[in-house]
Amino acid sequence: MNERWSEPSISRRDFLKLARTAFLTAGGLLGLAGLWRFFSFQAEPSAPTDFDLGPATAFAPGSRTVLAQVPAILLNTDKDFVALSLICPHLGCTVESKSDGFACPCHGSRFDLQGRLVRGPAARSLTPLRVETSTDGHLHVYTS
Amino acid sequence: MRRLIVIASALLFFTLLFIAFWVSRRPKPVALIPSLTGQVEYCLTCHVDLAEISPSHPVKTFGCVICHGGERLALDANLAHSSMRGGKNPADFSVVQASCGGDNCHSGSAVTFHDEIQRSTTSIQDTYAGAIALIRFTFGDQPDLLARLATRAIEDPQSTSGITSLGLFVPSQAASPSVRLFGQNCLICHLSAQPYEESQYFRFTGCAACHTPTQPPEINGPSVGDPAKIHKLTTAMPYTQCDTCHNRGNYDLRTMTFQPRPDNPTDRLHHYYQPISEFTKCEYTLDCVDCHTRTEAMGDGSLYSSKFDVEYTQCRTCHGTLTDLPPTRTLTDPNDLAFRMATLNPVVDLKLGDTILVTAKGEPIWNSRLLPDGTYQMVGKVTGQTFTFRPVKGTGCKQDPSNQTAASCHQCHSVQR
Repeated sequence: MNERWSEPSISRRDFLKLARTAFLTAGGLLGLAGLWRFFSFQAEPSAPTDFDLGPATAFAPGSRTVLAQVPAILLNTDKDFVALSLICPHLGCTVESKSDGFACPCHGSRFDLQGRLVRGPAARSLTPLRVETSTDGHLHVYTS
Repeated sequence: MRRLIVIASALLFFTLLFIAFWVSRRPKPVALIPSLTGQVEYCLTCHVDLAEISPSHPVKTFGCVICHGGERLALDANLAHSSMRGGKNPADFSVVQASCGGDNCHSGSAVTFHDEIQRSTTSIQDTYAGAIALIRFTFGDQPDLLARLATRAIEDPQSTSGITSLGLFVPSQAASPSVRLFGQNCLICHLSAQPYEESQYFRFTGCAACHTPTQPPEINGPSVGDPAKIHKLTTAMPYTQCDTCHNRGNYDLRTMTFQPRPDNPTDRLHHYYQPISEFTKCEYTLDCVDCHTRTEAMGDGSLYSSKFDVEYTQCRTCHGTLTDLPPTRTLTDPNDLAFRMATLNPVVDLKLGDTILVTAKGEPIWNSRLLPDGTYQMVGKVTGQTFTFRPVKGTGCKQDPSNQTAASCHQCHSVQR
């Protein structure tokens, strides 16, 4: 029985042309994806220095509010708002608020309720932070 | 020509595909900006599950690089680890100044108790000057027991002991064959020496030799896992850690060889120290660090000829004598070292006004307390167990006032072994 090969539906030339186009297109897309990835790289964002705490009226007179996101504590004294950084001036651990002041869980430094140094190894008191009220009545704490 | 273009475009495609695959398999960087350095580091990309090394060194504050070194921005393990200090142990004394030093860390002022590096690198546990002097004297290589040589040459102009420098001990230059053998076989105990490979002896070097517990805290206690991978620092060192050097066996001075312990202890009393020793109950129920102070272990910053120049804790330190109560101090200064020590190992809640025992040199035994009824309380730094005891004064003790060594007390108070 004579058997004949059927004619291909695409010529060899067209197949090579198609393959070339496909490879170049896919390669180009991959290259573009790489370029997009390269140029869209973002370095780690620097830590924020301005914290909007919301309306000043939300903090009752005499209140002591821990601001974990700063970290700091906001004191509403009779006269003014005072913010103290909760970063220990010894090595930078976050101090904890206690009934009689603040304690560093890392090395045991102690501070009184006003943030004044009671015992080391820290060599100075907790750092006061700038507090301002914006025109819309929001409190802002600045870490620098 | 067309065929070549197709082959080239295929090669280009597959190369780019391989690069995309390789990039996709890389871990997603996990950034950490420690509050102490403020510099981003990517170590947690691979080490995110690593346990905190201690409450005093939280990774959020310290990060990894300030202690370990390494390439903080690298994501390739080999590159990231290429410049680490001391390999896996940044507390090795060859790199400890860079790893653990600093005025606010461990190489600051003695006044603020930040001088641990100065103390430990001049301590007799690192210089080994006492053992070297003793062996050289015994075998005629020096005329007396004064230390002259150490495991490394060291200058210490501030030393108050009269010894301000030690030369390097080079065993091959020793006149006596026994001293040469000593150098060959016996220099494995000091803090900078690599330990025996057997697991019961394994410890790190430098500060980590003591402060990184590589042994279970009790005989037959739960395993600590692969000791070489332990990531922990503590001031609550169990006796088993001290035993990696102090209780492994003896050295045969005739052959200058190490003879491992022949016994196979199964309980704390028999495991605690050399099989030949006598103990009172407190000596084996407490851990070594419950009584022996940081100055005894780390030294006081001066160079010495013998461990007996720096070891001074005796029975009477806690129990007093027939005529004197043990020395105490009422805590009135919030900056007293006792508070610092109690913070690092909070087994007791010390308060101003508490009266604690102190050593003859005034070092606080901060885990002790004078109770209102005149007895004393001590809390185990490792076990947390509370022990109450009486002073000798006012008892029927028949001690010889002129003999206050442990051996004297053992005559009546030792436990049958």
